[in-house]
Amino acid sequence: MTPDDGAAVDLLAGMLRTPSLCGAEDAVATLLVESMTELGFDAGRDGAGNVVATLHPTQRSDATGEVVILGHMDTVPGAIEVELYDGALYGRGAVDAKGPLATAIVAAARAAPRLRRTVTVIGAVQEEGPSVGARSLLQRPAPEYLVIAEPSGWDAVVLGYKGSMRFRVEVAVAGGHSAGPLPSAPEVAVTFWNELVAWCTRRVPGAERKGGFYELTPSLLAMNSTHDGMEDVASLQVGLRLPPGLEPDALQPEIEALLPDGAFSFSPGEPAVRSDRRNPLVASFLRSIRLEDANPRFKLKTGTSDMNVVGPVWNCPMVAYGPGDSSLDHTPEEHIEVDDYLRGIRVLTRVLEEL
Amino acid sequence: METECPECAGTVSIAAPEKGEIVECPECGVELEVVSVSPPALALAPEEEEDWGE
Repeated sequence: MTPDDGAAVDLLAGMLRTPSLCGAEDAVATLLVESMTELGFDAGRDGAGNVVATLHPTQRSDATGEVVILGHMDTVPGAIEVELYDGALYGRGAVDAKGPLATAIVAAARAAPRLRRTVTVIGAVQEEGPSVGARSLLQRPAPEYLVIAEPSGWDAVVLGYKGSMRFRVEVAVAGGHSAGPLPSAPEVAVTFWNELVAWCTRRVPGAERKGGFYELTPSLLAMNSTHDGMEDVASLQVGLRLPPGLEPDALQPEIEALLPDGAFSFSPGEPAVRSDRRNPLVASFLRSIRLEDANPRFKLKTGTSDMNVVGPVWNCPMVAYGPGDSSLDHTPEEHIEVDDYLRGIRVLTRVLEEL
Repeated sequence: METECPECAGTVSIAAPEKGEIVECPECGVELEVVSVSPPALALAPEEEEDWGE
């Protein structure tokens, strides 16, 4: 069945009306399996809970390998009433990332009569958390082409995401009078933070001239301190956004050396991913966007996505694509312009027909 | 296909050009997009913008 524009809007509205917080994606997964089966996909759920839906080629072709479109079903918290207002569809996940996932579903269904390769659309679980769904996919063979269904804007493709890592550090000193000569635990923690900021600048010399994507950027996420009369304790939670070329594991000892008496605990991190732009996948997107009378744009994201998980392992031509203004991600005003959604579907349909 | 680089006017040769393909000018090194095959035409490739979303 080929979904028209009305069916495309209905599909996305249905997805938005079905809550799917990170780790609680069953209801929307059921909706997607039913909807995609009706559209002709071979659809089901894998062991991790991801929805995996495949369309097989209908054209004789010597093309081999599959196209994987990887989106995610979960959203951050914060219910937003689903409504169509002034040409925009409001709802949690409209941009991040049910809009791009619905775009992929409709585009693949529309391209089905002209497909030269197998196209697999995946709605992953827990992208807004530990990327459980994407990690479970690493055992799959690398596809020929990978599209991450995340908001790029309908006239742009994303070529890369910064990496990230997080850690908590705790420092304890013997309690003392605040009029005394020794620094308190909070003062030690603040000194560490200032040294960390300076280290980030030193660690990637010249990055400020190349732009934020190439900088090592620290964020102070939380700080706390306690004093029980015997001991001063201060703790910091820190996030780092990593440029290409820096591996989270390799940075740990350098960070620990900045505060030898600190007790560090690191969460698993992800390196940055940056795809090449000289390949048939990018060329196809540029052609298709120009057919909508627009000048295509390239973007580099300072955030992360499941491209950080699967990209370095699959190492195939890849982009992220999807309609939507990502400045609305995670906000109370999250919405997608319907015209942009429909343009995004047309762009991706032509790409899938060409590959 | 042989055409002129819009940046330096150098000659750019492409064996089997495809619309949308990104190529590099051998003379000035700038990246170019094939915007037309017949007649041959190149434009500066889109610049890379930064976006903070994820």
